[in-house]
Amino acid sequence: MDNYEAIQALHKSLPPFAPYVPASLLPSIALILLASTFALTFYFSTLPKDTFPLRETAVASLASVLGGFGVVALFCSVGVNV
Amino acid sequence: MARRWWTFPLLLVSALAPSFSLADLAFENTAIVRTIELGGSLVHVSTTYAVKALEPGQSTYQIAISKDERAKTSWLEVKVKGRTTPLELSEDESSTEHLLSVSLPKALGVNGTLNLVLETVQTHATHPFPEQATQKEPQLLKYTTDLFTSSPYTTLVQRTKIKSLAPNVISYTTPHDVDSFARDGTVTRSGGTITYGPYHDTQTDADFMAKYQQPISVHYSFDHPVLEIETLRRTAEISHWGSNLNIEDKIHLHNAGPALKGHFSRLEYQSQNYHRKQSPHILSDFALHLPPGVTNAYFYDQNGNVSTSHLRAAPSVAKGSKAIQYSVLELRPRYPVLGGWNYSYTIGFDTPLQDSVGYDAKNGVYMVGVPVMTNIAGTVVNDAEVKIILPEGATYVEFVSPFPALSSSMSTHISYLDTTGRPAVTFTYKDLTYKHTGIIYVSYQVPLSAHLKKAMSVGAAFFSLFAFAFMARRVDLKLHKK
Repeated sequence: MDNYEAIQALHKSLPPFAPYVPASLLPSIALILLASTFALTFYFSTLPKDTFPLRETAVASLASVLGGFGVVALFCSVGVNV
Repeated sequence: MARRWWTFPLLLVSALAPSFSLADLAFENTAIVRTIELGGSLVHVSTTYAVKALEPGQSTYQIAISKDERAKTSWLEVKVKGRTTPLELSEDESSTEHLLSVSLPKALGVNGTLNLVLETVQTHATHPFPEQATQKEPQLLKYTTDLFTSSPYTTLVQRTKIKSLAPNVISYTTPHDVDSFARDGTVTRSGGTITYGPYHDTQTDADFMAKYQQPISVHYSFDHPVLEIETLRRTAEISHWGSNLNIEDKIHLHNAGPALKGHFSRLEYQSQNYHRKQSPHILSDFALHLPPGVTNAYFYDQNGNVSTSHLRAAPSVAKGSKAIQYSVLELRPRYPVLGGWNYSYTIGFDTPLQDSVGYDAKNGVYMVGVPVMTNIAGTVVNDAEVKIILPEGATYVEFVSPFPALSSSMSTHISYLDTTGRPAVTFTYKDLTYKHTGIIYVSYQVPLSAHLKKAMSVGAAFFSLFAFAFMARRVDLKLHKK
């Protein structure tokens, strides 16, 4: 019982959780990131076919990373809190 | 000089005491008053022991509860009368009864007195009698208990008061063979209160119990529906990205009142509603008190969404501070739940994560507090399972339950955008009442890499699409050579 009360007091005293990105900004972030992903994907489709696909890999990686965060933000903004 | 001749035989007798059913001589009960407040699925019993120590340095007092009563008791607490902190207990079981050893706050000297209050909540202690009733008939319940309160010590006076909320008590048993203990009559009734006693000089050892202990029952009317939640499945999902705690309850509600005899008449039901004289065993709506800051509440059953609900959300309060106002969710089931009927539904709601989770930046430890259940007034939960789903990649998980759980286990729960699955802590409980709305605390750590894993896994899926496109551009699928 003492142990439980100590844990309860500890929980009360800890500072509240703060997300990396404020939840109210998530819909705007989702829009921006997914729009950039779309734009980069379009740009990827216009790139010439080089032997060493440096540019293609770079554009693809950037688009994937932005798309990844964009989809997570999208899920959270529609209510599926992942 | 006159005491000498029986000192040795007394020593012999006290050495053999465990084999005799002699009362413990350390204390004496000046008075025991047991007050039973009758309800539907819950019965509240409060027993006050006025204790006098007969030997010096006594720091443990023993309370006896019969096996039947202990089986019905789902919550108990011993306090000094007038104080709020509960005393420490340890429980022992003998062949005939349960003994609670209470640690007194201060050791009592000879002739020191103390008032101890044992409060218990009993569940499944009443049953509808008659077991069937038509829509218009009243709801009558029966409660049975033992006449005498047992105690390992001699009791000078004891009485039992049984109180019914409604003043009309149909019948109550008159005890037999106890006239030698009663001076003013064995049982009296005044409105909704029935008093058995006072009974003088009772020493409740095995012989006494065999000869005089008898069951007493009270047949009374109860004006609210008798509700049981047969199963409660609560899921609490923590999302760090969405900064949200979602709590979802899947409930199987059962009306444990008298079973409906005949058919349900919608006409009769509407006319009762119109005249505001609804039958006590029909459940038409109930209210839940949810934490402040509730959003996105949903209420659906097997047929789909149930729109007959109303949420009055209270503004969010900071973590740890006392809620001034609770959110009220009024629910009306799809159909009125009559005696013997069941209704299964799911409700859920979101609360901001900062109201339940604290973060210790120095150790990188998160701590969440999730309530075990949301109480519906006057109900007992027969079987409850609470599952707390932590974010993906949570490690060093530690948890504590406010009261002992039947079992606790860890598992992996797979949900949206998960790769390795989320750790989940599951607790199972039984016979929960309004006294069991405590908070489960879970502490865990989630490194930044685990947070990013979710976005990276979606990114990897995107990249695989790009890799496929990369290869597809270089494959010539033309049918004719130019």
